[in-house]
Amino acid sequence: MPKRIRLDKAIVTANDRLAAELADTYDQAGVLVVNLMSSPGAGKTSLLEATARGLADRFRMACIDGDLATDRDAQRIQRAGMPCTQINTGGGCHLNGKQVRDALDAHRLDRLDILFIENVGNLVCPAVFDLGEHRRVVVSSTPEGDDKPIKYPVAFRMADGVVLNKMDMVDATDFSVEAFRGYVADIKPSLSIIEVSCKTGDGLVGWFQWVAEARDALSRKAAPGAE
Amino acid sequence: MHEVSLAQAVWRQVKAELAGRPGYRLRAIDLVVGAFSGVDPESLEFAMGLLVGESDWPDAAVRLRPEPLALVCNDCGQEFTTETLDLTCPTCGSTDADPVRGTDLRLESLELETDDAETHPA
Repeated sequence: MPKRIRLDKAIVTANDRLAAELADTYDQAGVLVVNLMSSPGAGKTSLLEATARGLADRFRMACIDGDLATDRDAQRIQRAGMPCTQINTGGGCHLNGKQVRDALDAHRLDRLDILFIENVGNLVCPAVFDLGEHRRVVVSSTPEGDDKPIKYPVAFRMADGVVLNKMDMVDATDFSVEAFRGYVADIKPSLSIIEVSCKTGDGLVGWFQWVAEARDALSRKAAPGAE
Repeated sequence: MHEVSLAQAVWRQVKAELAGRPGYRLRAIDLVVGAFSGVDPESLEFAMGLLVGESDWPDAAVRLRPEPLALVCNDCGQEFTTETLDLTCPTCGSTDADPVRGTDLRLESLELETDDAETHPA
C-alpha cells in the first residue's frame, strides 16, 4: 500500500552543522570572522598583508589561510605582522568547517578582534561551504575580466562585500568598471564594491573602513544599548 | 559541485525518516533543487542513484524538481520568479529584492509502501 509523506525539509549537511557550531564559538569569543574568497591570484594575500600593516594599531588580528600546498601565503601574512595558520587541503578545493575548527586551536580567539579566513583560490566551491563567518568578501581583480560576477553568481550573491583589486592595472586591460558594477548590481544591488590597489595602496582606506564598520556592528550586537 | 557529499546528507535524512517508520519500503525520493542552490542536478541524480542502488530499496526512484529563483520585492512586496540574472521587480522596477525560494536543496517528500496498512501508520 503506497503512501506519500510530505517533509519539505532543507538538506542539512555535516558542514552546515559545524558552521553553526563555529558561529557560536566566534560569538562567544566576541571575534569578528571575515571569510575571503576569490579566483587564484586575485590578491587575497596581498589584501591581508596590507590589512596587517594598515590596521595593526587599531585591532588585534589573526588569519587562517587555505591552500592546496605550501605555507607561502601564511609566511607572507606573518611577515606583515599578522599571526597566521596555514591549512594545506591537499587536493581540496575549499576550506570546510572541520579544517577551520582544527586550526582555531592555534589562536586565542578571546584575545582577538578580527579573524580572517583566506579561502582556497576558487569561486565555485568555497561559496557553498559556510564556515560560520560573520562577513563574506569576494576579491576580484581587473586582469580577470569584468564578467566574473555573472560567471560566478552564487559566490557574489552570498557575499557581503566585494573588493576590486589591481585598479593600478585597469588601463592595461579591457576591464570596464562600469560593466563590473552593473553585473554586481544585477546579482545583488546592496553589495558594496571597494576599488583598491594593494600594490600602490590606493583605495585601501575604504577597505579598512569597511572592516572597522563590520567590527563595530558586531560589538553593537554583543552589547546592545552600550553606545 | 560536491554533489556526492550532498547526496550522502540527503540519504542520511531519508534513512532517519525510514527508521521512524518500521515496515515501510522506500519507493521514491522527491527532491527540490533551487536554481541558486549551487547544486548540479545531473551530478546529484548520479550520486543519489549510486546510494539508492546499494541500499535495501535499489528500485526506489529519485525525482528532482527544479525550482526557479523566487524573490520578494522590498519596495512593493510583490513576489516574482526569474529564470535569468535580471532581479528587477516586474511590478515596480525596484532592484531591491530578497530571495525566498530557489536557494536551497530540499527533501520534499518520500513515497513509501507497506504490506500492512493497519499497524504502521506513517
